[in-house]
Amino acid sequence: MRRSRLAALVPAFALVVAACQAAPGTPTQAPGTPSGTPAAPGTPTAECTVAVSWNNFQQPRWAAHDQPGIRDTVEAAGGTYIDADANLSNEQQNTDVDTLISRGADVLILLAQDTQAILPAVQRAKQEDIPVIAYDRLIEDSDVLYITFDNVAVGRAEAEAVLEAVPEGNYVLIKGDPGDPNAHTFLPQGWDEAGLKEKVDAGEITILNMSGDNWPQDAGTYTDAWATETAQDNMEAIIDRAVADGNQIDAILAENDSTALGVVAALEAKSYGFPPLSGQDGDPANLNNVALGKQYVDVWKNARELGKAAGAAALALCEGQDMASLTLAEGLVDTSVAPDSLTAQDFVTPAENTVKSFILKPTPITRENLNLVLEGGWVTKEQLCQGVDAAAADAPAACQ
Amino acid sequence: MTNMAESPPQAVSARPPQRRSFRDLVLQTEINFRIFGMLLALAAILFVFHLWSGGTFLRPENMMSLAVQASGIAVISTGMVLVIVSRNIDLSVGSVVGIVAMTYAVLMTDVMPNMLGMAGDFPFRWLIALGLGMGLGLAIGALQGFIIAYIGVPAFVVTLGGLLSIRGVVWYFSRGAAVSGLDPEFQLIGGGAQGSIGGTMTWLVAALTGLAIVGLLYYNRRQRRRYGFPLRPMWAETLIAAIAMLFVLGLAWVANNNFWPRGAAEQYARANNIPIPEGGLLIQTGFPYPVVIVIGVMLVMTWIATRRRFGRYVYAYGGNPEAANLAGINTRWTIMKTFMLIGVLCAVAGAIAASRLNGATLDIGVSYELYVIAAAVVGGTSFAGGIGTIPGAVLGAFVMQAIAYGLSYVGVNSPGQNVVAGIVLIAAVAFDSWNRRRGT
Amino acid sequence: MTVVEQVPSRPAEAATPLVEMQNIRVSFGGVHAVDDVSVDLYVGEVVGLVGGNGAGKTTLIKTLSGAHPADSGEILIDGKPQVIDNPRVAKSLGIETIYQQLALAENLDAPGNLFLGRELSTPWGTLNDSSMEDATRKVMKRVNPRFTGFKKPVVSLSGGQRQAVAIARAIHFNARILIMDEPTAALGPAETAQVREQIKLLKNEGVGIFLISHDIHDVYDIADRISVMLQGRLVGTVNKGDVTTDEVLAMIIMGKLPAEVTRQELEELHG
Repeated sequence: MRRSRLAALVPAFALVVAACQAAPGTPTQAPGTPSGTPAAPGTPTAECTVAVSWNNFQQPRWAAHDQPGIRDTVEAAGGTYIDADANLSNEQQNTDVDTLISRGADVLILLAQDTQAILPAVQRAKQEDIPVIAYDRLIEDSDVLYITFDNVAVGRAEAEAVLEAVPEGNYVLIKGDPGDPNAHTFLPQGWDEAGLKEKVDAGEITILNMSGDNWPQDAGTYTDAWATETAQDNMEAIIDRAVADGNQIDAILAENDSTALGVVAALEAKSYGFPPLSGQDGDPANLNNVALGKQYVDVWKNARELGKAAGAAALALCEGQDMASLTLAEGLVDTSVAPDSLTAQDFVTPAENTVKSFILKPTPITRENLNLVLEGGWVTKEQLCQGVDAAAADAPAACQ
Repeated sequence: MTNMAESPPQAVSARPPQRRSFRDLVLQTEINFRIFGMLLALAAILFVFHLWSGGTFLRPENMMSLAVQASGIAVISTGMVLVIVSRNIDLSVGSVVGIVAMTYAVLMTDVMPNMLGMAGDFPFRWLIALGLGMGLGLAIGALQGFIIAYIGVPAFVVTLGGLLSIRGVVWYFSRGAAVSGLDPEFQLIGGGAQGSIGGTMTWLVAALTGLAIVGLLYYNRRQRRRYGFPLRPMWAETLIAAIAMLFVLGLAWVANNNFWPRGAAEQYARANNIPIPEGGLLIQTGFPYPVVIVIGVMLVMTWIATRRRFGRYVYAYGGNPEAANLAGINTRWTIMKTFMLIGVLCAVAGAIAASRLNGATLDIGVSYELYVIAAAVVGGTSFAGGIGTIPGAVLGAFVMQAIAYGLSYVGVNSPGQNVVAGIVLIAAVAFDSWNRRRGT
Repeated sequence: MTVVEQVPSRPAEAATPLVEMQNIRVSFGGVHAVDDVSVDLYVGEVVGLVGGNGAGKTTLIKTLSGAHPADSGEILIDGKPQVIDNPRVAKSLGIETIYQQLALAENLDAPGNLFLGRELSTPWGTLNDSSMEDATRKVMKRVNPRFTGFKKPVVSLSGGQRQAVAIARAIHFNARILIMDEPTAALGPAETAQVREQIKLLKNEGVGIFLISHDIHDVYDIADRISVMLQGRLVGTVNKGDVTTDEVLAMIIMGKLPAEVTRQELEELHG
């Protein structure tokens, strides 16, 4: 005799939970203060509603850095900030955009889950005369404003640092999710721009984990969903193979921090030592590894600055400024990060659309310049220097 | 005269031994065919990769990696057998692993030192964290089990909800960032050079296991004789004992051919005033802790499944729920306990996963449920209910991991790995169905 | 149609009935599956419980076996009122049931099924498979001496062998009251004969048996008295010796007692 009356509660419960997940933006902690107050471009902007459509708010960086950057900039100028999270679903994101429009969005900041699948939503926004900012991820539409970090430049910075430390030898390449264009196109492109392919062709560098002959598709091992545990398992197999074949691993290019974390775990499990290793995102655990000497370079994208730029651009578009002549205020964005020109530049997309853009610069972080992340309020000294013996002679400057 | 053979409706007296076919001989040993087949399959897989890799695959270090990588899944799969046998499913195991792993990390890096005043040198701090994590796994399992058994919501629905909501809670817990820096003792749980039991202990464990097997065979034979049941022929008993002992000792030998890294060994030698011989001091690692944990869990779970009432009731319910109820069994409590058990096992696997990473990330445990279910199914557990063995599931986990690790080793990328894994899963189940249809 | 005629079977023994079920009612959401039925059973007799599909026989008997307690009414065992609300209680009163579907767990072997829910333990709390197998062997000698598949899952046994396991279960636990629901429905002639032999042996040992069957001839052979149900109600209880099979058939189909039915109607039964 089974009673299923309460069974009806379960779907209701699931809905509530899903709703809670899809509505971020309520109490988020703000680690540190944003550096420098955003200067509004001249005119007061009352009644401007800036709407943000996130694609995967669960990933750490958005809540910690991008969101505060956008929101603080908008609200300091008197605007209103609203947002929604699509939880990795294209359909959900299309719905989110509709919802945000009906909630009164004046400008839309869009982190596209998929550059093509988002186009119908972009169309609808355009019909409502709502300017669209493509945030961090490209949207194949010539009317959007593309604000991002240069992902190819990130790859270039990763490889440049490691190649400088290890100009010759055996390399291991660890890539991200095989379906992500960053993983299979943009970052490898940056690696090659830094000289990787040249050196491989010249025989100075050997890639230990090729899975075929095609470059760059078969160069390196992909990691489903950029998952740390998967990267760890793959790296352990690679280390085993190298040891068995009698090859020394001289350097490791990992595309981002979550995979780099798995690589470090594998190196520790196998007691292999720590050849120079790259990463990106500036995750606290990885920065700590940089301080401990387990990771060589972490290409940091100060996402707070990106958020500020997007927030400021959104406010300007709200007022009716033209995208082509949009200019960021001096000092709004940190100079090391800001694009060379503070006015929107043309950018040609892979599908040959020309969009206006602000492309920010990444900052490679090594042991020598760890202070940058401290000053930026990105991590606390405690997080950064956990396990570091400050008194030791070779402790990084930032921890002493 | 054997138990397995169909005896003709005549004399009960012994028949003179006639020409036996090979099949009869094998039947006489009463070995579980399925498990034996899987061992052969595993051997074949390892051998194939050995050839594919140009002869470098079968090295002790590689086998060590493989074993440690399989351990988390293997541990949980023992519990999944009981869940599936009793006609349920648990899709939330990955998320439970995730939340418990994050709990361990947050406890040891933040809550304990900062909020509970337990500094790094607090005695057994890691053990307390471990206990709390296992308590959490138990509680989640109890909650889900209660809703499934007593309120009657299908397990698929409840654990699917668990999978989603618990993963969301992990995010709130950690704000999405990875949390790292576990207590040194806790780190050992995940294996590695120091995370192993050492050469002597390994031989000891192997010897004890060997003796236990022989003891079990002896006890079994004595019981049969006492009740006058038909006995296994002596040659079959000796053969089984010999093979089992060789197997166990072989595992120990492989484990003991792994050594501490040179630097750590020298440090140890200096600290303990041991002279360092030519070529460096070789300290054997032996079985890594995760492997010891898997073996221990497997033995305990097998014991529970075959020698305890609870296990008997799980299988009875799976075979015929109505019969179990009519027999007066408290089936609801039995079902709830299967979920509590798997919750605890998730916490154990979470400890292994967290210590391997020396911390916890947001995505620890993601997709575990697929691998765990695959392991159980490849190991012979049937979704129809009532059928499945625990050693089979552990073997299934090792078979699946051997394939994944082997493909990584020879350089096949993840899409290729997923294709192979899917094919193996389907082939294993198809083989089972075909076998059953043949009426064995 | 609802007149209850209780006909005592053994006038010599005016003893207390082994089982008395009085005014039993069971409803499923408005439908009266069992509507004010009263039957009884004496020591060492077989009462056949017959009726068409949906007559309520199985439901009635489930109130006695504990599988589905009655909504109202009383059950007396040896003259004492008892509340039977689960199978365990029934078993503790010496009531064993052989269900139509046998209620065997297919994946367990014969000893496992025999002792299901009542397993024997070793001193250190584990299942004592050896002693359970031993006991099973002993009891099976009485039921089916040629049975050898003690370690096989019962799914691989023949229908008759499975029936034997179910019967052995009842015997081993010293049933005083045995309920058999369609025991020969799935059996061939040889096995049916075997079951009948079993029942006779049990009768002689003083076991009281409720035998449910839709096969009038089977019941007629074995039963001492026959209770007929139709659409949840008791048509009547008759001595086997006092009626013909046709008259019983008339009770089953038309709900008419022998006294009420005409010869013409009896002939039409075979039309």
